[in-house]
Amino acid sequence: MNGRMSLFLRNSIGVMTAMLAGVATPVANAMDNSLASGVVRFALDTGEASSVVGLAMKLEGESADYLQARLMLASGQHDEARAGFEGVFNGASHRGEAALALAEMAQEDGDLTGAEDWYQQARRTGYGEVVQKALLGLAQLARIQGKTDAAGQYLARMEDGYWAAVGYMNLAADFARDDLDSSRALVSLRVAMAMAAKDTDTSRSRALLDQLNLRAGYLALGSDDYDKAIDFLEKVSLESYHTPQALYLHGLALSSKGNHRAAMQSWHRAKKFPLAFPGVSDAWIGMGRGYDLSGYPGQAGESWLAANAAYEGERVTLGKLSERITAEGAYKALVQDARSDDIQWFLADNRTLTQPRMAYLLRFMEEPGAQVAVRRVARLDEMVATLDASKYNLEVFIQALEGFMASAGSGGAASQTVVLEQQQSDLESRLNGLVEQAATPAQVAELRQLKQSLAGAGRRMGALNQQVVQRPERLETVLDDAGALRDATKDLRYKTLSLREQAARELDALALAFVKKQTQRMTHALDKTEQQIAHLYEYLALENLGEGAQ
Amino acid sequence: MFGRQKPQKCRIAPGIRGLCISGMIIAAMAATSHASSLDEQIERLNADITRHTASVHALEQKLLHPVNTRVAVFLSLANRQALELDSVELFVNEQPVTAHLYTENERSSLGQGGVHQLFIGNLADGRHTLKAVINARAANNRFVRREIVHDFRKQPGTLRLQMTLNAKAPDYEPEVSFVEWK
Repeated sequence: MNGRMSLFLRNSIGVMTAMLAGVATPVANAMDNSLASGVVRFALDTGEASSVVGLAMKLEGESADYLQARLMLASGQHDEARAGFEGVFNGASHRGEAALALAEMAQEDGDLTGAEDWYQQARRTGYGEVVQKALLGLAQLARIQGKTDAAGQYLARMEDGYWAAVGYMNLAADFARDDLDSSRALVSLRVAMAMAAKDTDTSRSRALLDQLNLRAGYLALGSDDYDKAIDFLEKVSLESYHTPQALYLHGLALSSKGNHRAAMQSWHRAKKFPLAFPGVSDAWIGMGRGYDLSGYPGQAGESWLAANAAYEGERVTLGKLSERITAEGAYKALVQDARSDDIQWFLADNRTLTQPRMAYLLRFMEEPGAQVAVRRVARLDEMVATLDASKYNLEVFIQALEGFMASAGSGGAASQTVVLEQQQSDLESRLNGLVEQAATPAQVAELRQLKQSLAGAGRRMGALNQQVVQRPERLETVLDDAGALRDATKDLRYKTLSLREQAARELDALALAFVKKQTQRMTHALDKTEQQIAHLYEYLALENLGEGAQ
Repeated sequence: MFGRQKPQKCRIAPGIRGLCISGMIIAAMAATSHASSLDEQIERLNADITRHTASVHALEQKLLHPVNTRVAVFLSLANRQALELDSVELFVNEQPVTAHLYTENERSSLGQGGVHQLFIGNLADGRHTLKAVINARAANNRFVRREIVHDFRKQPGTLRLQMTLNAKAPDYEPEVSFVEWK
């Protein structure tokens, strides 16, 4: 990195740590650079950037500028971070990582051309995972611009694994949307399945494969290729978010083949899931249809009436959820209360898929806008918690310092120091006398060690005396610093709470719109079953009339 | 018994629909710009809070851990593939001082050269014993729990102890090397 940029970065971090003047952690002064870099890297990777600001400022070596730029990004200083990453890219180390960070920042800002340029640079200068992420980024940009062939070419250069699988899945979605024929989309999905199978993270791989099989099953069903659809859908695991929809589609494929009994078995299993999940409300209607097509109109009527009751019940649940969102806010009603804090851990998985509120939360979080809104509130809550912890610590420090200053004024410490100095002097004279009398090498060695220990104690005593002289001024300075920080904490907390309120209002609006949409979905399902029941009664009435006429 | 259901005709005239869509787009744009300004405010606040928390942290370090008695213990991995670290328990002079359960994110960071500051505290000068209990899964899918004991001498000034964890093929037995930084 060039000197000008390095200076700029150091100045920026200097501003950041201006309040640290005089209280910078001494750990940073002498810590080995490789150890310090590792500590900063760990803190940045785990979201604890604030604890290493002082240390990062003193870093040297090839990773220093890169880590400092990451620190800027983590602490919300985007312009400084951008300048820092550009400086790192013009240097010799971490060029690929810096280019990737710049590409992601450009993409977030909506600058697609800039993002593409930086992704190309990351691909050219990076190694391993950086290249994989750059290729995926380029494929995504090509997809956004409608260049599916170019996207495919980038994906073909990626190594097998999760990210390549995600890329092919997105490409398949484009093909499915654009093509009349599903073959290109199915080929992409099959490639994605092969890639996902190579993912070393088994739970992530399983979740993605479930989604891929569901999508492939849906496409095959749309092309009237029922056997292929059944084959894909049977590979979806029974403990996944996608299970109810897969079961519904599985039943639909079997029903289309004329196997209504087996279809009803699938729909019956789908019915066990909360109505919030995709496919469950359709499975309730499907049961009635299955009975009807199998020649049991009475059972069909009962099934549809049961479906009606379930939809009515769900509308009540949604009404209550809407009331709770209005009263308590969406974050509490949907997110916090859905957490399984009052349940044994071994039941947690089971509860996840059977709790209606968790089901609605999962469905709500499918929307990217909802994810952003929830993340905003969660982040602001974390900030409030950090500030509360700071406030508590500062109050304890201030109390302790005030008590310490009161006791320091009594002069007890000074008299103790005098006694200790006298003891030190006596011991030194006795030791010198013994050194002269030492006869054996063992005695000499032992006395040498004692002398070293005594010298150490003397040095510490000297340092302590210096500190005692400076102590009142230093304590006052620290007390002033602590007081200023406590006041700053209060201001920041007020600002954070105000923004949290604003973010929570936006989340509430999104959640209420979502609940309204779900209520409409239930109303629509209710209309459908009522229509089916009306058709059934009409059919039975006509049958009765026909029988009567004969 | 059921025939194919007839599609419903368009209930909204195309012109009105165009107006509605334009209205929706304008509303969406307004919502987006509002949301992005909120995000910008949150970013600015985050920068302020990071600065502030760093200052509090520095003050805390200064008050709680005087330089002469400070001891810090760090953990790093020598080989990211050999061991999947589950948890570490740390004892100083047979007294438990900290225990940490690693998340996936933390494991990944350690694998990429991150160093975890496991413990920071104060010790008097003289001889002390550090015991670390490592729980991990080795590359050969074997779960291992090992106790490692290290004797060290604390002298005036800050002492930093770096534990580096390694496991070599074929048996992937965990080994810990200690480096003392003065």
